[in-house]
Amino acid sequence: MPKKIILFTLRTFSTTGGIQKMTRTLGYSLTNISKQKNWDFKLWSLYDSRYDLMKRYVEPENFVGFGRNKIKMGWDTLTKGTKADVVILSHINLAMLGIVIKVLKPKCRIWLIAHGIEVWRPLNISKQILIKKIADKIICVSSFTKDQMTYWHQVKPEKCVVLNNVIDPFIKHPEEFEKPDYLLNRYGLSEQNQIVFTLTRLASSEQYKGYEQVIKAISTLKTKFPHIKYILGGPYDKLEEKRIKDLIKRLDIEQQVIMTGYIKESELSDYFLLADLFVLPSKKEGFGIVFIEALSCGLPVVCGNADGSVDAIRSGELGTAINVDDQDQLETTIIAQLENPLTIKERENLQVRSLRYFNENDYYKNILQLITNDSGN
Amino acid sequence: MCSSLKHGGPDDEGLYSDAENGLVFGHRRLAIIDLSKNGHQPMADLEQKIWITFNGEIYNYLELKEKLLNLGARFHSNTDTEVIIHAYINWGIGAFSMLRGLFAFALYDKQRGQTYLVRDSSGIKPLYYHIKDGNLSFASEVRALKASETANITDENWKVRFLAFGHIPEPYTTLKNVYSLPKGEFLCWYHKKNTYEIHSYHIAGKRLEITDIGEAKGAILASLSSAVTRQLIADAPIGVFLSGGTDSSIISLLANGQKHTQLKTVSIFFNEKEYDERMYQSLILKKIEGEKFAHLVKQKDFEEFLPEILKDMDMPTTDGINTWFISKYAHEDGLKAVLSGVGADELFGGYPSFRRIKYLKNARRLPAFLFRTAEMYSSDPYKKVSFLGYNHPLADYLLLRGHFAPMEIARILDTGLNSVEDILFDNRQVPRLNRYDEADAAWFELNLYMQNQLLHDTDIMGMAHGLEVRVPFLDEDFKAITESIMPSIRFDQSQPKKLLIDSFTNMLPKPVWDRSKMGFTFPLKQWMREHREINNENAYSGKKTRAIVREFKNNSMHWSKIFALYQLQMHA
Repeated sequence: MPKKIILFTLRTFSTTGGIQKMTRTLGYSLTNISKQKNWDFKLWSLYDSRYDLMKRYVEPENFVGFGRNKIKMGWDTLTKGTKADVVILSHINLAMLGIVIKVLKPKCRIWLIAHGIEVWRPLNISKQILIKKIADKIICVSSFTKDQMTYWHQVKPEKCVVLNNVIDPFIKHPEEFEKPDYLLNRYGLSEQNQIVFTLTRLASSEQYKGYEQVIKAISTLKTKFPHIKYILGGPYDKLEEKRIKDLIKRLDIEQQVIMTGYIKESELSDYFLLADLFVLPSKKEGFGIVFIEALSCGLPVVCGNADGSVDAIRSGELGTAINVDDQDQLETTIIAQLENPLTIKERENLQVRSLRYFNENDYYKNILQLITNDSGN
Repeated sequence: MCSSLKHGGPDDEGLYSDAENGLVFGHRRLAIIDLSKNGHQPMADLEQKIWITFNGEIYNYLELKEKLLNLGARFHSNTDTEVIIHAYINWGIGAFSMLRGLFAFALYDKQRGQTYLVRDSSGIKPLYYHIKDGNLSFASEVRALKASETANITDENWKVRFLAFGHIPEPYTTLKNVYSLPKGEFLCWYHKKNTYEIHSYHIAGKRLEITDIGEAKGAILASLSSAVTRQLIADAPIGVFLSGGTDSSIISLLANGQKHTQLKTVSIFFNEKEYDERMYQSLILKKIEGEKFAHLVKQKDFEEFLPEILKDMDMPTTDGINTWFISKYAHEDGLKAVLSGVGADELFGGYPSFRRIKYLKNARRLPAFLFRTAEMYSSDPYKKVSFLGYNHPLADYLLLRGHFAPMEIARILDTGLNSVEDILFDNRQVPRLNRYDEADAAWFELNLYMQNQLLHDTDIMGMAHGLEVRVPFLDEDFKAITESIMPSIRFDQSQPKKLLIDSFTNMLPKPVWDRSKMGFTFPLKQWMREHREINNENAYSGKKTRAIVREFKNNSMHWSKIFALYQLQMHA
């Protein structure tokens, strides 16, 4: 009998962030695995409606968008969810559904994906029950997250599997490494500019991404690098926009900093080509998909050394990890990188190596193996 | 392909081909600037490295030309076309954002082996493209691609879109894999690799918000005046469409202030009293010098010209009859270009949707499934409530502006509801607007209704008569200034378009603005009800369609819905 797999998600296609990107790729791999094995795979999304689906990742027949209808999702969980052989919860907030399915169908294998800060903290009772009693497997996106699962929730290490995120199978991989004309034109830049790039959501509620430190560094570095520009990409809320713009004004670097707002996915790899260095000295990345995306375009990266980012740069092999509380180290690292820009050959090399470690092909194989080897099957 | 566009380019035609890259440009010319042979297109620079086929008008071409002359450019004509070529030679793709005007062009850079398709930032001029098997074809009307051998397969989904929207929304067309290039974007085709990319050419940077009402009024007055001045540039006769409403009155008065001698006004009137705007038109005409043309349109004219109007439509649409008539008269009055008031309602909150959108916000708080069955038991105008059952931004738009609800469409076309839903709400990049305020309404009106309906019909119907319709309210700089005004000032809802009216209060007669909105409206309900074919239930096939025709005869339905069914029937 064909295996039935359901991937439960909150919001996968109607917004974009690390978790969404990871889930899309997981959905893509599971679609392909199921096709090959003749299994029955469905991706359920609580908040997306069926019109949000990006068909290149998951085909319409494999997707159910509940469009915020919690009652319907609850009902389908009872009637259809309990028929699954493997249920993958893409977020700890879906804990209750996992518990219900396990109670009604103990044979069903329940997997939880552990990303980052959503599990690196004390959790309420239903989430604890899921982690400790219900989940058969916890897929951790980085070794750091795995350690945190042990630290915070005393999860047995054998229950946890580290499965690093991979590069989006549909991101453009440049063959040439020239800075795109249209972006130089859009922002009034030239080949002369040294461009530091950060891509993240700028939220007043999340003050750990570290772009504030980069802004401060730019104000110091502008004397040494008169043509330096800092592109701060990603959507922002009004409060954070004001806070950051005030800071930029206070530091007198309005000429150096460009806030782009949301960047279209189709243009993302061009931004990586435009830049000379990617910097995101964050403290709380579960993994940091953005680092491997930057690397896959041959862009060197600087990340924090105290979170999951270390996995994304293969503990220093692909990028530089710094103590994000050390402003001097941040500045000296940026200086070193800008003073020794990568040659085209080196950029190509970085691209090749990052694709070797973080490609969807291997991800597919790893997931297939995990499902096949899962002890209940 | 070229011959199919003769109506919009009666003055000249030309072809250019380059075997090396397998490229052919074809052109039909409507001469407005430099009427001599020097304006022949496709055109190249003296060294013949850059070739262009260009549709439209660059208003700031003289300013750009001066800069280019200082940079050493050598010109062989007085056209704006040649200015685009040299702007590209000097500034590369940076040239595109420097152009002010309405344009769609293809530019071939022989040395780099690249062709650019470029469309103006307000999407005034259309540009359609088709890419298949490593081949690119493009045209300014769908009918030209239909005449080609590569892109002439019908996309049957057009019927669903047409019945819901009343037009074919961008980027779709009636042809499979033929899309409209988004406004303000360019497509770069690499001949060596046969690949392409599409990007916006806008320069990043946000204007400072205008928060002072006095400053806002001053900026509107100055900027619109300069837009009108700029747009009056022409070597051929130019005029203004005057409907009698606020927007065309403002444009007429500003144009009159700039160019006394040559300004001609064209207006339309009807025997049907409730549609007769002559009183308001005359208030403006009294203040203007120059020739004034007024034309009576009667039901007989509508019946006589309807077949021609339908033929002139590039794609089915439920609007455009009004523009067809006034363009016809403008052409007969000897004009080659006119200014129109399109765009003000969208920018300043002139439509009822600006007030209705707030109710939508409350309705969206209720569970969606409550609305799904609305169309089964409600009367006509309320059937659209069923759009609240769909969690998609286009459903919000269709509730405000749509024609038929999904269930009705499924019945008319005898297809499944699911397939109708999938076609309507496919994953187009329409942003999720969730504030439900006037700024959201403006987004819908500008980017969907105006873009897909008004501008499309205006261009097509104007071109059908070899007439270029210019739209000063959509001038790049005026639009940018308007959009930088704080929403509470810009959309003061104590009166529709209050800020615009207040900005021109000294020149605008009170009766013109102090009345309920009329728009540029024809007595079409009456004319269609009395039209033998449109009104003939037996001429339609399908039970549902006939039932709708009966409803229309009972006077409980808007004419545009019956007009949509009439056109659908023609394509059956």
